[in-house]
This record gives sequence, structure tokens and C-alpha cells, in this order.
Amino acid sequence: MSDPDDLAAAEYVLGTLSPEERASFVRRLAADPHARAEVRAWEARLTPLAEAVPAADPPSGVWDRIAAALAASPVPAPMPAPMPANDNRVAALSRQVRTWRLAAFASAIAAACLAITLGLDLARRPETGGARYVAVVTPAGEAPALIVSLDTATGSVQVRPVAATAPAGRALQLWFVGAEGGPKPMGVIGSEAERMSLPVGTARGGEGSFAVSVEPPGGSPTGLPTGPVIYSGKLIRE
Amino acid sequence: MASVSGDDEFARLLGAVASGDQAALRALYDGAGPKLFGVILRIQRDRRAAEDVLQEVFLAVWQSAGGYRPEGGRALSWLCAIARNRAIDSVRRRDATQAPAPDEEDWLERLADPSDGERSFLDRDALSACLARLEPRQRDCVVLAYCEGYSREELAQRFGSPVNTVKTWLHRSLAALKDCLGAIA
Repeated sequence: MSDPDDLAAAEYVLGTLSPEERASFVRRLAADPHARAEVRAWEARLTPLAEAVPAADPPSGVWDRIAAALAASPVPAPMPAPMPANDNRVAALSRQVRTWRLAAFASAIAAACLAITLGLDLARRPETGGARYVAVVTPAGEAPALIVSLDTATGSVQVRPVAATAPAGRALQLWFVGAEGGPKPMGVIGSEAERMSLPVGTARGGEGSFAVSVEPPGGSPTGLPTGPVIYSGKLIRE
Repeated sequence: MASVSGDDEFARLLGAVASGDQAALRALYDGAGPKLFGVILRIQRDRRAAEDVLQEVFLAVWQSAGGYRPEGGRALSWLCAIARNRAIDSVRRRDATQAPAPDEEDWLERLADPSDGERSFLDRDALSACLARLEPRQRDCVVLAYCEGYSREELAQRFGSPVNTVKTWLHRSLAALKDCLGAIA
């Protein structure tokens, strides 16, 4: 087996590729059915070793966290629900807040549960005196995890938790994934709405996504997500 | 654990999960969760992080169960691959090197333990026989990498050899394994 492609597939399955080689192989897998077939063949060859590993009972809290994440995304690969065009209330809300929408972002593990708005003039909207109400339209009518709005003029980000819940003893941290790629740390999400700023040096063109990961109390110690990404959503402009 | 009927059941549950059946995901978690957690915990020895990986794995299964094809391999093999990949990603993205394994397992001995279903027993028998033919140090590299998530650098440290030598050993072992398993099958 001097075929370097097959060796890469074998080492990918074994787990011994360097982080750079591994990342590059994963990118190749997405586009190369031959490489995927080689990976499956190696998985089949070595799987008896994984089955020889003794089982260990996970603590009950793990299922609770899975169930909580599922409750926020009841169907696999949910699609955003179309807005009914003849609903005046929706149309009015749409005008008022410019854009509210859910979107999935491709690399996310869990379904998108962040409602993200991109408002150029949101922060400077003239006060009308009355209270403002908004609705976030979600696929099955469930509450979104967070509502995040970005003011591209100032880089100011308004974060309003709705149904987001952190597992016991853990914190939820917000990340911005801009056009240049790679998550940039934002703050730890509390129970109250708060204002954060886009990380220094981040392009404010309105392109990108927000994601939420589970982290130790106080946030990720490494500057990169260390726990699972449980919510994400893409910036969308009307 | 991995009997033939158990695997057929996992395949059936994956089909139900793909159509959005949360109860099927729970049944899959109850049936395969302990095995997958065992696999993850051997690689990611930080229990807290291992629990996060298990959660990630089941959310990934929820999202991608529709991608499982029974003709492409056994359901448990598909699930183990997701669990191992996530566990390896999890240990590699932490800079800190892990604490050494609490106890040294004899994986070859465990592999030879015939407490399994017929189909996987045959696979195990073949892998066991082929691993036994490898030069011991080279075999240990493959087994420690696969079962315990050792990186090339960690293997080099453990065996007191340069990283490039370890890479050569891995390539030789993998090539010999492929030939041997191909000849048996």
C-alpha cells in the first residue's frame, strides 16, 4: 500500500494525522467520494478494536443536555418557515425591524436557534413613544435561543437571551464567525439582554454568523470554542 | 453489546432518527451510548470533556442519521467512527497533553475475547490474527493510536523514537494490515 491517498485515509481513521493534515483531509473528504470510500473501508477494518473497548455508563445529565438541544430544534435539518405574505402583522413587524429570520449555518452541529438581525439604523431609530414588540418566526413556533442584532455602523451587538439555557455548571459563550473565517470570542451570555462589541479588527460588512458554545464558567480559556456548538445563526439583511 | 441483532436494531433506529423520531434517538442512546462513551473516554480522558463529546455525537447523529447506509457498513461501526472522530478532534484542539492512561489495557487480549455476535466475531478474529503478525512495537503504535488516541508525537515520546520513524512504522503496519485482511476476506 504505497498509495499516499490510502495512507492518508488510514491515518485519518487512526487519528494520527497532524491537525493541519487532518483539517486538509476533512476538506478533501467533502469533495472526493473515492476518499470517503477509503475512509469507510478503514473504519470497517479497524472497528472491531473500538468494539473491544469496555462500555462506560454516561451520567444522566448528558441525555438531559441532548434533550434540551433537541427541544430547540425538533426536526433534523430544519428549514426556515416561509413568512405568510398575506399576514399584515408579519409585514408590519418585518418593516419595523427590517429583518428577523432563522438560518442554519453549514458547519453547525445543532440546528440554528439564533435569530440574528443586521440593522444599519436600528440603534438610531426615532422613538415613537409606544412600546415596540417583535416576533421571531421559527419553524415550529418554538422560542429562539437568542436574538442578536448587529449595528454595522458602530460594531455594536445587542444580545438578548430568550430560551438559551446553559447546562448546570457551564457557561454559554457567543462567537462571531466573520467573512475571514475562524470564530472570534464574544462575551459569556448572561440571563439579561446586554450590549457587546464586535472583536477589534473584525470586518463589519455584515457578513458572518454568530454561534454559541458550551464552555467552562467564565468562558473558553483558549480563545477558541472548547465545548460543543449548540446554537448558531447567520446574519441576514433584508 | 454488538450482536448481529443489536446491530440490526441500531440500523432500524437510525432510520427512525432520520425521519425525526426523538424516541428512537433516546433508544439509540440507551443502547449504544455506553459503548460510545467508553470509546470516547479512552481517547478524551477528561470526563467533563468526554461528556461534551458524547453530547456532540448524538446531536450529530440526530442531524446526519439520514446519511447512514446499511450497505456501507454496520451501524455500530458508523456510530463508533463519529464518536472516535469527535473525541480525537476534542483532544487535538486542546494544547495540553493528556494525563497518561490510568491503566494499560491489553487491547489484543480484549479483541480476542469471544463474547460477541457471530459477524463481528469473524471480523475480530481476522483483525486479531493480522495484528498478531505485525512487529510488536509497530502493532502497539496502531493500537494505541486507535484505542487511546495517541498522536504521532505522543507515540514518539512513548517509544523514544523520532516522529518520522513512528510515521514510517504506522505506514508499514497499516499497509501490512490491509494486505493481511484482504487475503483473509
